[in-house]
Amino acid sequence: MSTEADTTPTARAGRQLPAWLEGLLGQMVALVIAIIGGGIIVMLVGEDPILVFTTLLRGAFGSSERIAGSLLQATPIIIAGVAACIALRGGLFNIGVEGQLYMGGFAAAFVGFQFALPAGLHMVVALAAAVVAGGLWILIPAFFRARFGTNEVVSTILSNYVAILLTSYLTIDVFKRPGGWSETAPIATTAYLPQLFDFSRLNFGLFIGLALAVGFHLFLTRTSTGYEMNTMGSNMKFAEYGGIPVRRNILIVLLCSGAVGGLAGGVETLGVHHRFMEGFAPGFGFDGVIAALLANGSPIGVIFTAIFFGALRAGSLLMEVETNASREVITVFQAFIILCVSAQVLLRRRRDSNQGERRWRF
Amino acid sequence: MKANIRNLAAGTAMLGAMTAGISAASADTLKVAAISGYFSQGFGIAIVNGLKKAEQDFDVEVKIVDTGNRALDYEEQFNNIAKDGEYDLVFVMGWELVDALQKSNAAYPDQKFIFIDGILESETMTYIDFVEEEGSYLVGALTSMLTEQGVEGFDSGSQVGFIGGRDIPVIRNFLMGYEQGVDEQSDGVSVSSVFSGTFDDPAKGSELAMTLYGQGVDVIYQAAGPTGEGVLQAAKVADKYAVGVDIDQCPTAPGHILASMLKRADVAVYDVIKGEVDGSAPVTAGPVSYGVAAGGIELKVCDDVADMIPEDVMTKLEEVRAGIADGSISVTLNQ
Repeated sequence: MSTEADTTPTARAGRQLPAWLEGLLGQMVALVIAIIGGGIIVMLVGEDPILVFTTLLRGAFGSSERIAGSLLQATPIIIAGVAACIALRGGLFNIGVEGQLYMGGFAAAFVGFQFALPAGLHMVVALAAAVVAGGLWILIPAFFRARFGTNEVVSTILSNYVAILLTSYLTIDVFKRPGGWSETAPIATTAYLPQLFDFSRLNFGLFIGLALAVGFHLFLTRTSTGYEMNTMGSNMKFAEYGGIPVRRNILIVLLCSGAVGGLAGGVETLGVHHRFMEGFAPGFGFDGVIAALLANGSPIGVIFTAIFFGALRAGSLLMEVETNASREVITVFQAFIILCVSAQVLLRRRRDSNQGERRWRF
Repeated sequence: MKANIRNLAAGTAMLGAMTAGISAASADTLKVAAISGYFSQGFGIAIVNGLKKAEQDFDVEVKIVDTGNRALDYEEQFNNIAKDGEYDLVFVMGWELVDALQKSNAAYPDQKFIFIDGILESETMTYIDFVEEEGSYLVGALTSMLTEQGVEGFDSGSQVGFIGGRDIPVIRNFLMGYEQGVDEQSDGVSVSSVFSGTFDDPAKGSELAMTLYGQGVDVIYQAAGPTGEGVLQAAKVADKYAVGVDIDQCPTAPGHILASMLKRADVAVYDVIKGEVDGSAPVTAGPVSYGVAAGGIELKVCDDVADMIPEDVMTKLEEVRAGIADGSISVTLNQ
């Protein structure tokens, strides 16, 4: 009986790890569980898990081309991840990154093929159009959240469908390139984001993503507005009592989040596809949201989670060709990680709560 | 064969590793890859069936790569396949892959790519080209003979219908073959044709079909992709008939689909592999036509309506088919 005393909450609190170490340890445990779970799935389809995982690694990091491929996949996830982070740190959810990405992608392509401007300037204008389109796309959910307190999770999710279908309509019916697949005319070369190497489509967009993440991190930690936003994010009621104009800030935070989401689409259009096609980047917006949640809303953390996701995607392409495991194994793998991490978040909240063992709601 | 071995081995890593050893190809094995995003749909399933059959009959190893729907991945996927020159033949299906295919074709000129159901600009690739006008001629012959004779269910008037997707050359080919079949195989029957302007709108297809049925048309041949699904559904609602296209669409509205004009991708794929394996027709650049003669195009009369078609119509239809196959009936595109 007395040996069980060790497991009581008070005893555990005595040897609590520093938060960062605990977080890192948690991610590692999640990774190990995912590897074991993924390995079992791979075995069930009759493939050698060691071979599958080494192929996955080789596909992601095997050569400079492959590393560039991983970063290419990670670029839109980083930017979309920062977009989601902005909302998260302001205590809000933007699940509409996917839709903002589509709108931004289309807006950038439109400026790219419709206007003739000098090189460089053309690119900047096209990116600006993407930012504006993303911001406009979240305007309605943001306004209703700020003015009437409408749940922004629902309204932003729903705005995704409208964006995807609207851009499909614009692509297939209004701006379709004659004789082609469902895509617009190609954009002018003056609007291209410069490629970094000649052996990969990896482009300047990666630096835009990194700069956004670092910039947002500095904003949160070094400016008083950033502090205000943090306060709002951790406790909105407290922030309101403290005299922070919460309603106005909700609108601004969501607009910024949407604008960055739009930028993710613009970078994808100008850097990689050089035109807009129907369903051009399915899932990147959602991947960004997941990357942000896994990083616990830290923009620096998003860089790593996004690169991890990008590497998984790039590696899975080789894995599918060289082994008998389907690319979808990666989706299972990601799901394991998401389950593990969200379980940890729940457990931690329960431990940290001051309402004792019975508190299950949060 | 290989799939069976694998099923037995499922569950244990050690056996999994062993099958990897068993299926390791010998030097003579023809290695074939197929890449597309549609392997779970009608036309893609036909391709997989053709590949599976070739795998059983010949010393062939098949790798199927599903592209998914993320455009960013396509180029990488083509490069992964073509990079080591591991595959002797690579079948490609899907217009959204064309860009990545062309880049990969330029980067790996020795890789033999076979594009299914279309012809692109590059002269170094092989194209499987289905002669849709021949099949459409057969459809025209069947529908117009039924209408001419006033067979029960086809006795409302002297017109047969056609609903196309967008008004583009390939769909025009369907219409021209159809009209020629109607003209040559019957008297006093004419075609009432309409283009829906879209391939993605079943509701519009349905609406147009109802209009045609309302004008006394008893049977409509559709070449309109998903829009055509609406035409098939309308046939059921209006208690009339429609003709399916590309794949066997008889089960879509049983009893109301007269026939399906099949593009036999399985036959074409199998045939290409066979030619390469036994050396009778090694794969070379340029288009390869699969029409009625080669078995690449086929008119399948739906089983559940076969009883109501008079014997003499079936006999005549078979004569027409034989005529197209031996060249005595030539289907032309410049009427």
